[in-house]
Amino acid sequence: MPKISKELATKLINKSYKGRKNILKMAKFGEVHIGGAYSSLDIITVLYNEIMKHDPKNPDWKDRDRFILSAGHKCLALYVTLADQGYFDEDVLWTYNSFDTRVPMHPDEKVLPGIEFPTGSLGHGLPVSGGIAITAKRDGDDYRVFCVLGDGECGEGSIWESAMAAGHHKLDNLVAILDRNKLQVNGRTENVMSTAPLEDKFLAFGWEVKTINGHDFNQIYETLTSIPFKKDKPSLIIIDTIKCKGLNFGEDNFKFHHWHCESDKVDEGIELVEKVRREELAKVGG
Amino acid sequence: MEDKNIYENPREVISDALLELGEKNPDIVYVSCDSSLGASGGPFNEKYPERHFEFGIQEQSAMGHAAGMALNGKIPIITAYVPFITCRCFEQIRDDVCKTELNVNIMGNNCGFSVSALGPTHVVLEDVGIIRSLPNITIVSPADGPEYRKALHEIVKLEGPVYFRVHRQKVKRLNGEDTDFEIGKGKVLKSGKDVTLIAVSSTVSRSLDAAKLLQDENIDAEVINMHTLKPIDEDLIIKSSTKTKKVVTVEEHNIVNGLGSAVSDVLSAKNPVMLKKIGVNDVFAKVGEYEEVMDYYGLTPEKIANSIKDFVNK
Repeated sequence: MPKISKELATKLINKSYKGRKNILKMAKFGEVHIGGAYSSLDIITVLYNEIMKHDPKNPDWKDRDRFILSAGHKCLALYVTLADQGYFDEDVLWTYNSFDTRVPMHPDEKVLPGIEFPTGSLGHGLPVSGGIAITAKRDGDDYRVFCVLGDGECGEGSIWESAMAAGHHKLDNLVAILDRNKLQVNGRTENVMSTAPLEDKFLAFGWEVKTINGHDFNQIYETLTSIPFKKDKPSLIIIDTIKCKGLNFGEDNFKFHHWHCESDKVDEGIELVEKVRREELAKVGG
Repeated sequence: MEDKNIYENPREVISDALLELGEKNPDIVYVSCDSSLGASGGPFNEKYPERHFEFGIQEQSAMGHAAGMALNGKIPIITAYVPFITCRCFEQIRDDVCKTELNVNIMGNNCGFSVSALGPTHVVLEDVGIIRSLPNITIVSPADGPEYRKALHEIVKLEGPVYFRVHRQKVKRLNGEDTDFEIGKGKVLKSGKDVTLIAVSSTVSRSLDAAKLLQDENIDAEVINMHTLKPIDEDLIIKSSTKTKKVVTVEEHNIVNGLGSAVSDVLSAKNPVMLKKIGVNDVFAKVGEYEEVMDYYGLTPEKIANSIKDFVNK
């Protein structure tokens, strides 16, 4: 697998860990769905910085790639990325949990540029993504639809209904990214409701599937630049991730699905995240 | 008002109207859940196969797909039997269609007792109630052939979600082909001074027949076709009830949260007068032939007239 340049790896690590720190700062203002935001942040960072066609100054640009966050509670990862991309001023992030905020705990397309669709109730994003993708194909438009799913979310029947429909309708402009952090609200997915084997299930529904390390920027970049994996098939990227990756006292702990952060923990958390950023940079020689 | 004893099948009227719409507007797409071809989508599918999207038996997913299509500027008409396209995917209607105010037109086939022989899984008498509880959606339930045609043209033009109820039984022609149809504006089909009858869908022609029977009893009933259940025509309800002082609603639906409740919401707040709700009294439907079931629930012209007579003479 070709390595991305040291410069690109450095940029992506810095962006992703800046996002993690911003999420921690938001945690000062209220409860945060930190676990899923941290597990999905690396791939969302790569998508917005290197992969997707989009224009922060023109969020409704017709030919943009679409991004639907089916697991809407991971929206902190999206908010910090959109702010970094210039969709809105970073100060909006510090209104978290205030009355009528533009950055609520689930994303709202009416109040924030860059949000394509309101999500929060699970199992809605993949069907909507399919609806966008199927009409884009019929119209001959060449943009793609990226949809981020959670592994716990795959308990919803509507995920499998729409997985079946995407395979049936040969939606090779649809890319689902399944954040396999292996935890949900009540514990480990294998104990709460085993959704495994996810690869085989999606393959059986007519998808092409790749499983990668969701915190390895090389693998993420390489995989996202090789879609569609197969003509006439929707692509699924299962990202093997660590819930709350980057904050060591919360990593792989289901109690950090949503977290009431004590204010003195924010500074400690930022120091820990900064330490991990430096370690990640060292790995790529940055 | 026309009374030519012409009976039409709503599905055939809609089928023709879909072809007219398809010709006029290339953005109109038809979203099917495995029941469209027999219902009204057959000719549209033949003429515009690239605009007919089949999703099989997965209404939650299909509703989400319809939202995605509308997000892309399409005007989807999504259709299935009433229970599956309302109850089954209620949350998709709520979150994906109503919250977003997308131009998704939800066509519920076989409303009321349309398919009474199929039993209570298929006879849903709560659809108006559950959909009415959602913000941003319009509910249209036409009474005759010309109205079905005109209404379909109007709902497609309306920006925002619509729930369009379609009956399976033939409907008696009440209007001329060129009838006016304005969403949100009820129609007075017969004026009267003693009592206001407000009806919708199948019960409009039945209420007109009931009003004729009431004339023999010296009761002069006003009959209103309330084809739009949401937003309901408050002005017309207030105007008519101010004149008659007594209101009766007639619906092929549960009297909980249906037309009667919508009228009651207006009257109790703005013009409190006596109200009687005729319909199904909060039970699951009995099985039988259509007319037999309608008779059982008191929805024949004779039984409607008798109920009204007792109410007016109270």
